[in-house]
Amino acid sequence: MAKSKAYVSSVGFTRVGDHWERSILDLAVEASRKALAGTRVRPQLIVVGNMFSSVGSGQEHLGAMLASALGLSGVAAYKVEAACSSGATAFNVAFNLVRSHAVDSALVVGVEKMRDLEPEEVSQALSMAESAEYTQFVGATFASLNGLLARYYMEKEGVTRDELSAIPVLDHLNAVSAEHAQFRKAISPEVVGRSSMVADPLRLFDCAPVGDGAAAALVVGDGGASRTKKGLMEVMGAKVSTAEFSMYERDDMLDFRATRAAFEGAVKDSGVPRKKIDALEIHDAFSVVGALSLEAMGFSKRGMGAKDAKAGKFSRGSEIPINTFGGLKARGHPVGATGMYQIAEAYMQLTDSAGKNQVEGAEHVLTQNVGGVDTTSAVHVFGRAA
Amino acid sequence: MTIQYWRIRDRYYRLIGSKCQNCGDEFFPPVYRCRGCGSEKIKDKEMPKTGKILTYTQLHEPLPGFEAQAPYYLAVVRLSNGARVLSQVVDSPAEKVRTGAKVSATVRRVRVDGDSGQIVYGYKFVVS
Ligand SMILES: [Zn+2]
Repeated sequence: MAKSKAYVSSVGFTRVGDHWERSILDLAVEASRKALAGTRVRPQLIVVGNMFSSVGSGQEHLGAMLASALGLSGVAAYKVEAACSSGATAFNVAFNLVRSHAVDSALVVGVEKMRDLEPEEVSQALSMAESAEYTQFVGATFASLNGLLARYYMEKEGVTRDELSAIPVLDHLNAVSAEHAQFRKAISPEVVGRSSMVADPLRLFDCAPVGDGAAAALVVGDGGASRTKKGLMEVMGAKVSTAEFSMYERDDMLDFRATRAAFEGAVKDSGVPRKKIDALEIHDAFSVVGALSLEAMGFSKRGMGAKDAKAGKFSRGSEIPINTFGGLKARGHPVGATGMYQIAEAYMQLTDSAGKNQVEGAEHVLTQNVGGVDTTSAVHVFGRAA
Repeated sequence: MTIQYWRIRDRYYRLIGSKCQNCGDEFFPPVYRCRGCGSEKIKDKEMPKTGKILTYTQLHEPLPGFEAQAPYYLAVVRLSNGARVLSQVVDSPAEKVRTGAKVSATVRRVRVDGDSGQIVYGYKFVVS
């Protein structure tokens, strides 16, 4: 495959949270229109990242539906599903088609409508990321698998409650000045440690919230890049990887092998040395998942992810800040849209449009989006366009 | 749910998993391919009924259909043959549900299927 350069030339997104008055299509159209506004690029392809529109809205066939709504009927359009990593996986497909010259441009939209469901229906929908026959069957929710993992992590590595709380605390602090974030209020470790129990030892504030949202990006090749007046972000490297399907089937449950492989592959693909990555958007759907992700990517030593976060290693102003707009915990986690929010946030950092959340001098940003308990991981490395 | 359950009820009643005919590794849930050696020579094998808790959680926000049981314990159990099972742990005092606790399998009512009213049975573990 002959590789050439590919760029994100614009992004658009909705606020994350409750959108009672709006449908899944309304959200996807808003994000798409914002991404397409002011550009003369007519995308040749639409890829929608979404996990459970069938359950959440009784709707499938989102690709053609969105194309029609945008007046783009005629273009190729389809949906990509990989549980909570649907967004970045959809982006990965589009990016590879652009850089291999199969298309000149593509619109990628991650969208999820969760708030039309009752909380227990959301729990059922998320559990589809795991085996229906051996996980849902015994009454295990997605949160409970992460609870099993959190206890294992704390007992094996000697991680304390306050250390586990550090990433949620960091996320909430970063979201205070993020206009699109679902929760914009700082919290203390005590608030996390006293919140209601979900799946012991995981509490409510260890877990990303339920919300609606859509985020979009326009991906263009060299030709499209010259036709846009907006800021450009180069897509430098990408890799999607998978691990043994269920966390409990793995010999080492604390080794996030999908993320490790996706990280190493994306960094190699990008040619950017690890030391030159200036900020990370990581998939902290649960506090423990954030910590283990940092370890798998080598930004913390084994057992040190939560401890390093507590010590301030990943806070704003540090050498390697994470989740610059609040991450999954505070910006929010509309599952199939989340990976595209991360990419939109990388775009803001690398086009100096991050406002109060700007990481000064950021040249490269890495995003990591996970489906299941690190069953699928999609990592991308972005840089400023030369 | 009803047909899906009927199809694999033996696996739920008797913990029928897989044994690799090449290297002898055993797995539950069943596999299509040995995770140890990669062989596709796999046969059904009944799992041993005792093991130890590797990790556990108490779930306070249950899946639909399990509300009456909440809060309930879930554990990753390492069976005596090395296979790992995700299961509920029931009928055990809270102070005994701990990492490393010895457990044994039993067949219990799992839930009542909402649509058909069918009672669904399957494996659960008890601290022994
Ligand atoms: Zn084998």
